[in-house]
Amino acid sequence: MARYVCWRLLWAVVATCFVLTVTFGILSASPNPEASQAAWEAAQSGGDPTETREILEQRRGETGSIAEQYVDYMVSMATFDWGESFTYNEPVTTVIADAWVYSAITVIPATVLAVVLGFAIGLYSATHQYTKTDYAATFVAFFGISIPNFWFAIVLVLVFGELLGLTPISYDSEVPFWSLAHLSYLVLPITVLATSAIASEMRYARAEALEYVGAAWIKTARAKGISELQVTVRHVFRPALVPLITILIADVVGIIFATAYIVEVIFGIPGLGYVSYQALVRMDTPLVLATTLIPVFLTIVANLCQDVAYTMLDPRIDYEGGSR
Amino acid sequence: MTRNGTETDRSREFDGDSVSESGSDSPSGAAPDPATPTFDTVDWTEYEGSRRLTRRNLAAVCSLCLYAALWASDRVVRSSHEPLLGLSRLDLTPTNVDWLFGLTLLAGFWAVVVPLWANPRLTRYYWRRIGRNRVAVASLAFLAAVFVVGLVGPFVLGYPQARWDLGHVPPVGFGGSWAHPFGTTRNGEDVLAITVVGMRVSMQVGLVATAISIGLSTVVGTTAAFVGGRVDDVLMRVVDLVMTFPSFFLVLFLVYVYGGNLFVLILILAVTTWGGQARLIRSEALQRSTETYITAAEAAGASRWFVIRRHVVPNVSNTIITAATLSIPVLILYEAVVAFLSFGDPGVWSWGRIIADGQTELATAWWVSTIPGIFLFLTVLAFNFLGDALRDALDPRHEVNRPR
Repeated sequence: MARYVCWRLLWAVVATCFVLTVTFGILSASPNPEASQAAWEAAQSGGDPTETREILEQRRGETGSIAEQYVDYMVSMATFDWGESFTYNEPVTTVIADAWVYSAITVIPATVLAVVLGFAIGLYSATHQYTKTDYAATFVAFFGISIPNFWFAIVLVLVFGELLGLTPISYDSEVPFWSLAHLSYLVLPITVLATSAIASEMRYARAEALEYVGAAWIKTARAKGISELQVTVRHVFRPALVPLITILIADVVGIIFATAYIVEVIFGIPGLGYVSYQALVRMDTPLVLATTLIPVFLTIVANLCQDVAYTMLDPRIDYEGGSR
Repeated sequence: MTRNGTETDRSREFDGDSVSESGSDSPSGAAPDPATPTFDTVDWTEYEGSRRLTRRNLAAVCSLCLYAALWASDRVVRSSHEPLLGLSRLDLTPTNVDWLFGLTLLAGFWAVVVPLWANPRLTRYYWRRIGRNRVAVASLAFLAAVFVVGLVGPFVLGYPQARWDLGHVPPVGFGGSWAHPFGTTRNGEDVLAITVVGMRVSMQVGLVATAISIGLSTVVGTTAAFVGGRVDDVLMRVVDLVMTFPSFFLVLFLVYVYGGNLFVLILILAVTTWGGQARLIRSEALQRSTETYITAAEAAGASRWFVIRRHVVPNVSNTIITAATLSIPVLILYEAVVAFLSFGDPGVWSWGRIIADGQTELATAWWVSTIPGIFLFLTVLAFNFLGDALRDALDPRHEVNRPR
């Protein structure tokens, strides 16, 4: 167990280094979009493009050999010296520290909603397999997986914001943080986020619970006369929970982060996704790098937690030997 | 008919050869000395390249060569007179993406359509199984329609033209006319024409990127499973590393660095999404590699490459086709999201781009983003339904609809 966790930790470190190396490789092997833009602008206004490019590269510390640049890059990444964002005129880390709260207020409620509802519906359709409700639930799952999130968000804005006038159309950061008015701004973003994740949670939960619906102990439990609800909760849900919890971590990270990005852009919520989008549009490379790497690191950590949690929660699983 | 006849004759002759111990009664005349009974050795170099295989392969290779020649001649012709820069004009000269699309269709024809045609009984069996699922049949019909309209439509309707005098025209039934059934954008571009061009783009992205990624994952997955040992370890660690990147952010980062040109975007999507499929195909191929027919082929001296190509890949092809069908909608959605975030190809009208265009004027012109969005949604939904039905029909082991 301890050996496996150590091995897994080591692998996470390797993966992190790999990701950093690849991003460094991509950035140094390709024309720097920011420098090209500056050079183009200089050429437009009659300046010398090469000179501009050199000045810019000097400012960014892109001098010396590739090896030196690489070491510099890795050291600054490891020490959280992620450079300065020129759109915000602040260190990248400060920008992120200000933005993450706005991501959290949509991501966390949406995750909780998606998990609770997704598991509940999944369990219900597993215990009522091949009924009308089950088919309806499966259809809803397909709907949730297939609907393009950005389009769904727009349709919701159109219907609830423009036609019915029930919700505000875009986010207003002047609204006091702890207020009911703020909540009305968050209803639509949370709905979109939750729909994206609910469908896959539901399908996982249904598939996982189905493995236990036909188990012998279910028959025993029914025979001793306990209620259907208790059978479902205690004898189907509990054994299914182990794989579900572990799937949940990686899945939520994958789906919710990507959806949160789009939702923040559409509604104008100044969270990490919105900051990243602005950075992409304005070619603010240090901020682009940081905001795309953070989800990657979180995914690596989530995967680590998932694998470790699996060994802890399920005593049948033995990863001794360190290889899967 | 004659071809079938020669094929069966030949295989029977071949079976007789390899099974007969003495070889003295072999009609092929290559029998060893009858006094010393030996096992007849199969000349694998001859068999692996025998006519039985090449008849179809030759045709496939010929068509590919012809295609390459067409491509090369197009390059030569195009370099002599560059087309004028004009984005609003319908450009009849095929782009890189068009060529890749054609290549994908050609490969699909030889890898899927021809084998199905050659085995009508199997085809009927699969068709019956899929036909039970009405939703899947409807999905297939819808996708076929989208495919044909996307392929032919732009030539009929023309590339969307800006008509500044028109401005917003609502769709039919909401005060518009049949001249513009889906209405127009604020620049007077016909939404129907944009939607049709979008069908073409989505199909191109979905099919081409999937073809590349599925090819890559098939090679990696089957090789890892069948060669095993250190190669397997290394390949699977590479897959692990590829999968640590959340695709969405990797795609965004690569588009930021390399630009959102449609051709580049297809390549980016293909190289970021093959990991999961490779893992799936490997696990499937691992199960196949313990089957007795593989052991038999190996015992008869078939080369490893031959066994993978002839026995492993065809037997995991059900998994491959299902995985491919389910990966198409994901890639279509990625393209749409990239275009929606305005990082897509500025010269290409994609569904994502028109939805983003209409977002700013929802109150005045709701039809601009909703109508193309319905098509995007239905296309993705149809691919998901079809993929699920294919999995049920082709893969009896999957009784539970597990996602991914």
